[in-house]
Amino acid sequence: MQVRTGPFLRDTVTIEQVMGDVLIALIPTVVAGVLLYGRHALMVVVLSTLSAVLTEAILTRAPLTPKGIVGDGSAAVTGLLLGLILPHTTPYWVPIFGSFFAIALVKLAFGGLGHNIFNPALAARGMLLLAFTSEMIYRTDAVTGATPLWSTGSFSWPLFWGNVGGVIGETSVVAILLGAAYLFYKRHINWRIPVSCLGSAFILALVWGLDPWHTIMAGGLMFAAFFMATDMVTSPVTPVGELVFGAGCGVLTLMIRQYTPFPEGVTFAILIMNALTPAIDSLTIPHVFGVGASHKDRIRGFALTVGIVMVLLGALAVIENNEPRVRPLISDGHYLPMHELLGDPDVDVVEVNETRYYVVRDEEGDPRRVAFIAERNGFNGPIRFLLLLNSEHRIERVSVLKQGESPGFGELITRTAFLEQFVGLDKDSSFTAGKDIQVISGATVSSRAVISGVERALERFDEAFFGVDGPGTLNDGTFLGQAASFGGPLEVEVVVSGGKITSVTILRHSDTPGFSDPAISGMPERIVAANSAQVDVVSGATLTSEAIMSAVQAALESTSVGQGHELELDPEALETLLPAIIEAQGPVEAVSGAAVTSGAVHGAFRDALNIKEGQ
Amino acid sequence: MLQHIGAPCEPVVGVGDKVKVGQPLGKTQAFVCAPVHSSVSGEVIAVEDRPLVTGKRALSVVIRNDGQDDMVRFEEGDLEDMSPDAIRQKVKAAGIVGMGGAGFPAHIKLNPPKPVHTILINGAECEPYLTCDHRLMVEKAPQLVGGMLAIMKATGASRGIIGIEENKPDAIKQMQEATKGQEQLSVAVLKVKYPQGAEKQLIKAILDKEVASGCLPADVGCVVSNVHTAIAIYEAVVQGKPCYERVVTVSGGSVVDPRNVLVRIGTPIQALLDFCGGLLGEPAALIGGGPMTGPPVLDVYGPVVKTLSGISALSYEEAGFDVNRPCIRCSRCVRACPAGLTPNLLGDYSNRGMTEQVIWLRAQDCIECGLCSYVCPSKRALVTWIKKGKADCAALRAKERELGVSICK
Repeated sequence: MQVRTGPFLRDTVTIEQVMGDVLIALIPTVVAGVLLYGRHALMVVVLSTLSAVLTEAILTRAPLTPKGIVGDGSAAVTGLLLGLILPHTTPYWVPIFGSFFAIALVKLAFGGLGHNIFNPALAARGMLLLAFTSEMIYRTDAVTGATPLWSTGSFSWPLFWGNVGGVIGETSVVAILLGAAYLFYKRHINWRIPVSCLGSAFILALVWGLDPWHTIMAGGLMFAAFFMATDMVTSPVTPVGELVFGAGCGVLTLMIRQYTPFPEGVTFAILIMNALTPAIDSLTIPHVFGVGASHKDRIRGFALTVGIVMVLLGALAVIENNEPRVRPLISDGHYLPMHELLGDPDVDVVEVNETRYYVVRDEEGDPRRVAFIAERNGFNGPIRFLLLLNSEHRIERVSVLKQGESPGFGELITRTAFLEQFVGLDKDSSFTAGKDIQVISGATVSSRAVISGVERALERFDEAFFGVDGPGTLNDGTFLGQAASFGGPLEVEVVVSGGKITSVTILRHSDTPGFSDPAISGMPERIVAANSAQVDVVSGATLTSEAIMSAVQAALESTSVGQGHELELDPEALETLLPAIIEAQGPVEAVSGAAVTSGAVHGAFRDALNIKEGQ
Repeated sequence: MLQHIGAPCEPVVGVGDKVKVGQPLGKTQAFVCAPVHSSVSGEVIAVEDRPLVTGKRALSVVIRNDGQDDMVRFEEGDLEDMSPDAIRQKVKAAGIVGMGGAGFPAHIKLNPPKPVHTILINGAECEPYLTCDHRLMVEKAPQLVGGMLAIMKATGASRGIIGIEENKPDAIKQMQEATKGQEQLSVAVLKVKYPQGAEKQLIKAILDKEVASGCLPADVGCVVSNVHTAIAIYEAVVQGKPCYERVVTVSGGSVVDPRNVLVRIGTPIQALLDFCGGLLGEPAALIGGGPMTGPPVLDVYGPVVKTLSGISALSYEEAGFDVNRPCIRCSRCVRACPAGLTPNLLGDYSNRGMTEQVIWLRAQDCIECGLCSYVCPSKRALVTWIKKGKADCAALRAKERELGVSICK
């Protein structure tokens, strides 16, 4: 019999079981990632896990039996975690190299299990973010942590279920919570770190005026709070230390998101807190049974801690108010540092009609340089583009951020040669397709969508900042307007009463029946509802819709002519139009690309004739 | 001659003397001491150093049992008539010590340094495998109540509470019946929790008071006694019976017929095991006490002493041992520690001999319950290291005193 020391009874929990439970807890996230992003995501996760396990087995010279390779399971956990925090589009060498780095340099080089200072998966991700940024950020879709430009709602169900673009394991909140619930049930993690991490981020978001639900649910914060910050080896062991650690992670994450070009701060936030863990531990050695600290003292200590945190947050809020709030944003995988694009650190963000304008103001507070993102429906869904206006509000740059047009055809709208045509134009310029702007052959619809989109975006910008053509300024009466459409001229009658558009009737059109029907039946209603000629097009009948809008606009502007207002007419159009009218003794087809002028001339003639008849 | 904390007794018999059951064998004038009595009648054949169960050696009186069981006459007493001092005298004469394992002489405990309002009887018996207190509560409830009254009278306490864990419903029932009609006595039903039987944890559980580090229960007006001790006090005071026998639990998967045995002090462990049918093969661990806190049995011919509450012989299926894999900082030990320590750090520092840090982490507050080692998924020998650390601390303090300097705060 061997002599040993007590206790002679031991709990059955082993390291293998702890690691196995973590792997089980990650299953929902893996499943969600694969469902959302497909086979490539599965491969990324599998490769990173295999790479981690094999790296450890080889470097520790484990017996190369299945059991020896799997070891205690901690390498598999690290590898799986790393795979889950990679973007789903990443090339296959990224997970393999990342896992090797995590195991070999971050874990084993520090002495193996239990001795590493930094969370291996996060350290690897940090390295990849810095060294291979393009593989990490640029391939990440829409919302990686940064407040996405297009989010409006507060608590968002898509974010909760996970059907937004992002990193494999970070997007489905429900899967993360499912796994976390299992870990709670198995008592491998406790509430302190996740709650303090998410709680502090939530509170700070409130203080800063960000959307708190979005702050904690978008990006990697939720996943990290439950699976990364709670990593046993690299987080404090003391209860108070866990609270401090979690709060530090939450606050640093938001600060990094806010003040640095990195869209997601949680990686570096947790790595910083990892480095502080030994210090936190030694400063928060728990209350020893029977040593001082009565219940009252503990409440007082808690109140003091909360007070200090609140003061710090208050100080941050003050600093925040004095600092530019605009940080680079990532939209559709494009990195857009707004300060640099606008060449000025003092950028205002103005949101008008659901569009966010990044504005550099002059001394009088008028917009000097402006950048904004606009959208127009193309052949295959929306085309999103960035517009940059110079100090004269002329176009300095147009970049297509997102488009789903046909490869080889519509896709060509992203070509510089096409987009450069817009440079120097402003809201008063003519945007006639094929005349002012060359249309890409084979991509007519896509080109036209961009052209009309840019034109409309400029108009909306003008409306937003200089407020012309506001509703209620229309004159009563019945007006006719005409515009060129797909199949030929299109004529509308617009009735204005009480300063508002009360009815729109399409008098004549020759567009393809069937295709144009939705626009013919739907557009008048939309225009009346919006009391404006500028409304969203009816999808599937873009061209007809646009023609209707142009015609209505022409009709509305004709009133201005009738009232003797000045209108800048297109002299070239007049040259062809006027003789034609005289020849036809009545309305003629509008000059293509000069619908406004044509409409105005017709309106003026009609007004004049009406007056004559009335005499 | 050493079955308690304090100075060893000096033998008052010599080789060749005839002794009777209950006859004192050793006495001393030292303050912290309890006399030892003969548990059999017979002839003294040796007074010599003999190994104890734990492997330590102590001066022992060896008696050849004549099988006659001649008793000395016990002086019966009436609790009603006795002064607190008389109770203490009788307890001292009977050689009663803390029978839960601490071995602190009972007569000193009955003379608390501060006024005491409550006495607590530790019926928690939280240590796994041990059931002797449980059986005593069921079978000797009236004696236990008598013991409680005797302790209350000696200490001047006005109420007595017996704390029993809720997994012993029969003991709770028995004690509730036995205390019926006695308003100053009550039964506190406790949740099942290890280590509830530790003195300070019991006070926390029953009275929700924390005894400060380095202080005694008397500082919060309490005296805590073990069940067996209270019964022994009753027997000493009322029947005049000295402490020459006790109930020992013999348990564990390797014991053929596990049971509680009323056994005379001085019986070799081997005889006790044989009485219980012997062992099934070689046990993985043979422990003098419960498996959590008990020390390993190093000599199976060592005697049963007053503080031995059980013998646990664990089979390989139930026993668990140190593997000392790396700490993964899961903080299970921190959450488990009833003393609020950080055993993972404490264990590491102790193991590396970093005494200064060990003192800073308050190793002296460790109650050595073994929970940290129990919950550790890496099966680290935390308690063993911390015990070593505590010994290092004590050595450092002793050196400080000797040199008259302060090496560390």
